[in-house]
Amino acid sequence: MTLLKKVGKVREISSLFFLIFLFGLVGLVNSDFLTPTSLFNCFNDSVVFTMLAVGIAFVILTGEIDVSIGATLGLSAAVASTILRDGGSGISAVLAAVLVGCLVGLFNGFGIAKLGIPSLIFTLGTNGLVRGLVYVYTGGAWVENLPAGFTKMANIKLIGELTTFYAAALVLVIAAHLILTKTRRGKYFITVGDNPAGATMVGIPTMQTKIMAYVLCGLFASVAGVLYSSRIGFITPTAGSGYEMKAIAACVLGGVSLSGGLGSLIGASIGAVIMSSISRILVFLGFSSDYDNTITGILLIVIVVVDAVAQNRAAVKTRHARLASRSGPLEEEPGDRRAAS
Amino acid sequence: MKQSLFGRLGQKAKSWEFVLLLILILEFIIFGAKNPKFLMPNVLLGSINDIISICIISLFVTFVMITGGIDIQVASIVGLTSIVVGVTWQDFGVNIWAACIIAIIAAALCGALSGFFVAYCGVQPMVVTLGGSFLYSGIALLISKLSATQSYKGISGFPDGFTQIASFKLFGVIPSQVLIFAGLTVIAYLLLHRSKYGRKVFLIGINPRAAEYSGLNSRLIILSTYVLSAISAAIAGIVLTSYLGTAKSDIGMTFTLPIITAVVLGGTLSTGGRGSVIGTALAALVIGILRFGLPLCFKINTQYLDIPVGLLLLIVITGRALSANPKVIKLMAGRFPRLSGLKS
Amino acid sequence: MAQSQTERSGQSLLSVRGICKMFSLNQVLKGIDLDIHPGEILALIGGNGAGKSTLMKIIMGIYQPDQGEIEIRGEKVSLTKPSVALTHGIYMVPQEPMLFPNMTVEENILVGVGFDASGAELRRRLTQLMDDIGWHLDLTRKASSLSIAEQQLVEILRGLLRNAELLIFDEPTSALTFDEVESLFRCIRDLQKKGIGMIYITHRLTEVFDIATHVAIMCDGVITLHGPIGDFTREMLVKGLLPPNMQDQEIKGTTGTAVVDYKDAKPILELQNYSGYGFRGINLKIYPGEILGVAGVVGAGRTELATTIFGKDKVLGGKAILDGRDITGLSTKKVLEAGVNYVPEDRHLNGLFKISDVAANTTSAILNRMVMGKVFLNRKAEHDLTQEYVEHFRIKVTGQDQLTGSLSGGNQQKVVIARALSTGPKLVILDEPTRGIDAVARGEVYSIIHQLKEQGVAVMLISSDMEEIVELSDRAVTVYQGRINGEFQKEEINQDNLMAAAFDVISREQVVS
Repeated sequence: MTLLKKVGKVREISSLFFLIFLFGLVGLVNSDFLTPTSLFNCFNDSVVFTMLAVGIAFVILTGEIDVSIGATLGLSAAVASTILRDGGSGISAVLAAVLVGCLVGLFNGFGIAKLGIPSLIFTLGTNGLVRGLVYVYTGGAWVENLPAGFTKMANIKLIGELTTFYAAALVLVIAAHLILTKTRRGKYFITVGDNPAGATMVGIPTMQTKIMAYVLCGLFASVAGVLYSSRIGFITPTAGSGYEMKAIAACVLGGVSLSGGLGSLIGASIGAVIMSSISRILVFLGFSSDYDNTITGILLIVIVVVDAVAQNRAAVKTRHARLASRSGPLEEEPGDRRAAS
Repeated sequence: MKQSLFGRLGQKAKSWEFVLLLILILEFIIFGAKNPKFLMPNVLLGSINDIISICIISLFVTFVMITGGIDIQVASIVGLTSIVVGVTWQDFGVNIWAACIIAIIAAALCGALSGFFVAYCGVQPMVVTLGGSFLYSGIALLISKLSATQSYKGISGFPDGFTQIASFKLFGVIPSQVLIFAGLTVIAYLLLHRSKYGRKVFLIGINPRAAEYSGLNSRLIILSTYVLSAISAAIAGIVLTSYLGTAKSDIGMTFTLPIITAVVLGGTLSTGGRGSVIGTALAALVIGILRFGLPLCFKINTQYLDIPVGLLLLIVITGRALSANPKVIKLMAGRFPRLSGLKS
Repeated sequence: MAQSQTERSGQSLLSVRGICKMFSLNQVLKGIDLDIHPGEILALIGGNGAGKSTLMKIIMGIYQPDQGEIEIRGEKVSLTKPSVALTHGIYMVPQEPMLFPNMTVEENILVGVGFDASGAELRRRLTQLMDDIGWHLDLTRKASSLSIAEQQLVEILRGLLRNAELLIFDEPTSALTFDEVESLFRCIRDLQKKGIGMIYITHRLTEVFDIATHVAIMCDGVITLHGPIGDFTREMLVKGLLPPNMQDQEIKGTTGTAVVDYKDAKPILELQNYSGYGFRGINLKIYPGEILGVAGVVGAGRTELATTIFGKDKVLGGKAILDGRDITGLSTKKVLEAGVNYVPEDRHLNGLFKISDVAANTTSAILNRMVMGKVFLNRKAEHDLTQEYVEHFRIKVTGQDQLTGSLSGGNQQKVVIARALSTGPKLVILDEPTRGIDAVARGEVYSIIHQLKEQGVAVMLISSDMEEIVELSDRAVTVYQGRINGEFQKEEINQDNLMAAAFDVISREQVVS
C-alpha cells in the first residue's frame, strides 16, 4: 500500500532525490557548498523561477503550453514598479500587476480553449504583443529608483537564512498543490490533460478548466514579476525575456510531462530550484558558469528522451495486452487471465 | 461579382500567397507615399541586412512545420555557426572557407541529433528543440572560451573574401544577401514543391499513418527536415558573421519569434500538412518590410516592433481558426457557395 | 418496430423518436424509434456500420441529431454535451475504457461527480457499492496499472456511483474472462431489480438470451426488428441480422465467375501457424486469381492479421511465405516491394491524405520508384497514371487537383484502392472495402475486384458484410476470437453459415449438445 503510494508519486520524489543527490555530490567536491547560507541561497534565488514554473505547470498539466509568461513577467513588473516609484501603495502595485497577469492569461485561454488555436502559436503571438506593451508602457526606458523599502524586502530573512519571499512562495505552492490534488475541481486540470475525451465524457468542463489554467499561469507570472522587481531593483524593457523557456525546462526537470496529465506543482518547484542552482553549483565545482546552458540542455534532453521512450513502450505494451486479451486465452496458459481478477 | 472573385480566389489553394503579395504591395505604397526615401533602391535593398537571417531560416523551418514539428533551436545554431567559423579560423588557423564548411557540418549534426530524438524516440519536437536551444547556445559559449579573444568582443578581422559575402553588390546595387535569399528560395521551392522528397514531406505531415501504409520512411524524412533547417541556420550564421564582420556566440538569439511568425504567416499549418516556400518567403518579407518601414516612415521606435508583428500573427491565426469553425463555414457557404469547398 | 409499444405500461425512461443523422454525404441513422422502460435490458445487435454507436453517441450528447426528439421520463430534452446526459442519469460504459491513466482508481471513479455530496460521503457510497456488487479493487492503484477487465469495472462503478438510471454497455464482455462476465451479469440483474434501464450492445448472441429482456436489431441505420426476448429464437436473430436483399440487382457488377483451379495452383501467400497480437495459429493459403473472403465480427483479429502481414506489427510466431519467399517480419516498405498491398479498414485514419489532391494520393505508394522520377517528380507520369485510374475506376473528380477530403466516400475508397493497385501487387488485402459507401459505388468496387481476379491477382477480402463475402468469394474463412473457426468452399458459402460461424454459434452449440 505505502509502496504503491510511493510509486504513484515517483516523479516528484525522483526529482527530489535528484536534487539531494546533486547537492550531496557538489558537497563532496566542495564542502563550502553545504553551509546553510549557500544551501538556502539556492532556494532563495529560485523564487522567481519557482513562481513561473508553478504557474506554467497548470497549463502544461492540461496538455497546453504558454511561451508568453516571460513577457507577462516583464509587463507586470513594469506596472508594479512604476506605481511604487510614483509613490503608490504596495497593495495597489501588487493588485495592478496581478490584474495584468490575469488579463493576459484570460486572453490566452480564450484564444486557445474557445477558438481552438494551437497554444504554442497563440502564445507566441501574445508574447510579441505583451513584450511590445512593455516598451510602450515604459517608453523604452528603465524603471529605476524604486523605494528602498521595496527593494530591501527581498533580503528580509524570516527564519535563519530563509527569505520571507521564498517562505511565502512555498506557502503559495503548497496551497496550490493541495487545491490541485485534494479538491474536486482542482483535479479537473489533470484530467483534462490526462485524457481529454474521457474528461468530456464524465462531464468535466474542459474549456473552462483550460481558461482557468491560463489565468492562474498569468497570475503566477505576475507574482513572479513583483518578486523580480524587488530582487533586481530596476526593470529593463527586456526583463524576463527568455524566462519562459527556463520555466518550461524547470517543469520538465521536475517531472511534469509536456504531454499533460502527469506531474505536480511540487515537482515543478523542485525543478525550478535545480534549474536556478546549476550556475551556482558549477561555480562550487570549479567550473565557470559558462557551462550553465550546456548542462541545462543536456539534462533537459536526457530527461525527456528517457521519459518519452518509457511512455511509448508502455503504450505499445497496453495495446498489445488489449489485443491479446481479445484473441482469447492461450490453451497453454489457462490460468493466466483469471489471475487478473 | 464579389462572389465570383471570392470563388476564384478560394479555388486556388495558393490564394493566400496572393493575399500576402497584396499586403506587401500595400506596404510599399503606404511607406513609399509617406517617405519617398523608402523606395530608393539603396535604402530598400540595404534593409535586407537586418532580416536576411530570418528570411533564410524560415524557408527551411517551413519544411519542419509541414511535417507537424517545430524548430526553436535554429536561433542558437546561428550563434554556434558564427563562433565555430571564428574560432576555427582565428585560433586553429583553418582556411576561412574550410571553417565555413566545418561550421555547416557541425550545424547539420546538431540538427540530426534533435531530429533523431523527434523522429525515432517520439519526443515532442517543442521540448527537444527547447533542450537543443540551451545545449547548442551553451556549446557555442564554451567554444568562444577556446578563443584567445574575449568572448564579449567577438572575433573580427576576417579576410576580404569572407566579408565580400555580405558586402558584394551585383551591378553595384543588388546586395549579395538578396541574391542568396533568392537562390535559397528557388532551391527550397524546387525541393519542396517539385521533388519527390518534398512530396514525401507533405504526405507525412498530412497523415503520418497513411504515409507509413504507403511504405514511406517517415522517420528518416522527419529527421532530414531538422538537418535542413539547421543547415539553413548555419548559412544564415555565416552571412550574418560576414555582414557584422564579427563572430560571436550569441548572435541570432532573438530570431525565434520572427521565424515562427514568418512560417505561420506564410500559410503553413501548425498542425502540419500544408505550407509553401513562396508563402513563407513573402511573409518573411512582409514582416521584414514592416520592421524596416515603420521606424523609417512613421518614426515608430524600433523597440515597439514586436507589437505589429505579434498582432499580425494573432489576427492571421484567429482568422484562420474562425474560418475553420463549422458555424462560420455554414455562414460563409450560404453567402459564398464556392468558397465552402476550400475549408474542408 | 411498432408491435412493442403497446404491451409495455408506465412511463418510459428514455424514448427516442425519428432520430436521423448524416455525416457528410452518408446517412447513418434513418429515423430511429426506441423506448427503454425502467428495469428493462435492451440488447442492441447489428452489423458493423449499422449505426449503433452513432445512436449511443447521440444519446450521450456527443453528437447532435439532425432530426428527431429525445425524451427522458416523458420530458423532452436537448442533449447538447455529455455533461447534460450525465445530469439526466444516462451513463455509457464505452467499449474501450476512457480512464485517466495517471490517476488512482478512486479519483477515476469520483472525478466529475456532482457537488451534492461531500467527498467522504462519496467514498462511503463507493465502498458500499463495491460491497453490494462484490467487486473489490484497490482504490489507490493507478489506472494505468489496471487490466482491461479491471478498467471496465471502474467504468461501470463510475456509472453506478452517478446514480445513473439508464446505463449503456457497449460490448462490455469483449475483454472479460468467464468469471468476470458472470459477476457482471449478476450485477446487471441486481440493477435491473432496482429499476435501472439498460441498453446492452453485443456481438454475442448467447449473451442476448442470458441477460436481455428485450432485443432490437439495427441494420443500415434503421431498427428492423424489436420486441421482448421471448418472441425470438437464436435462428430468428441470425436471420434478422442479414441485410434485406433488395439491392441485389443494382449492386451486382460484372460477375466474372471463373472457377479457380486449385489442383495445380501454387499459393501466392501461405501462412503457417502464423501468430501475432490479436490472432493466433493461423494456417491459410491464398491462390492467384482467387478471392478469399475473411468473415468475422469487429475485434475478431482480422485487421490485426492483415496489418501484421503488411509489416505494421510484430509477428509472434509462424511464417508468411509470399510466392516462395519468406516475408515474415519484413518492414512495410519491403512487403510492399515484395508484392503485397493493403487497403486499410479505416480510410480516414490510415488511408487518405485528405488535404492533398487525387494525384498525390494515387501515387503515394510508388513515390520510391523510378517511374515517378529520380529526384524531381515526374509530373507527366503522375498525371498519366492518375488519369488511367480516374477513367478506369470512374472516379468522379473535378480534376486531378481536387482534394480527396472533398470527394464522396465511394470515390475516396476508389482512390485508396487505386493507390494499392499502382504498386502492381500479387496479393491485395482489402479490409472492409465498401464500408460507408453507397450502393452504386459498391457495385463499382465489386467490378474492380472481379477485374483483379481476372488478372490473376490474389485478393484477400476482409468484410463484416456477409452478403459481400457470399457475392464475391471463391472460398471463405471465418475468424472468431483470433482464430480461424471455419472454412467454406464456394458452394458452402452462404449467409447463414457465415453468420453462425462469425458469432461462433455452431461450435458453442456443439459444446452444449
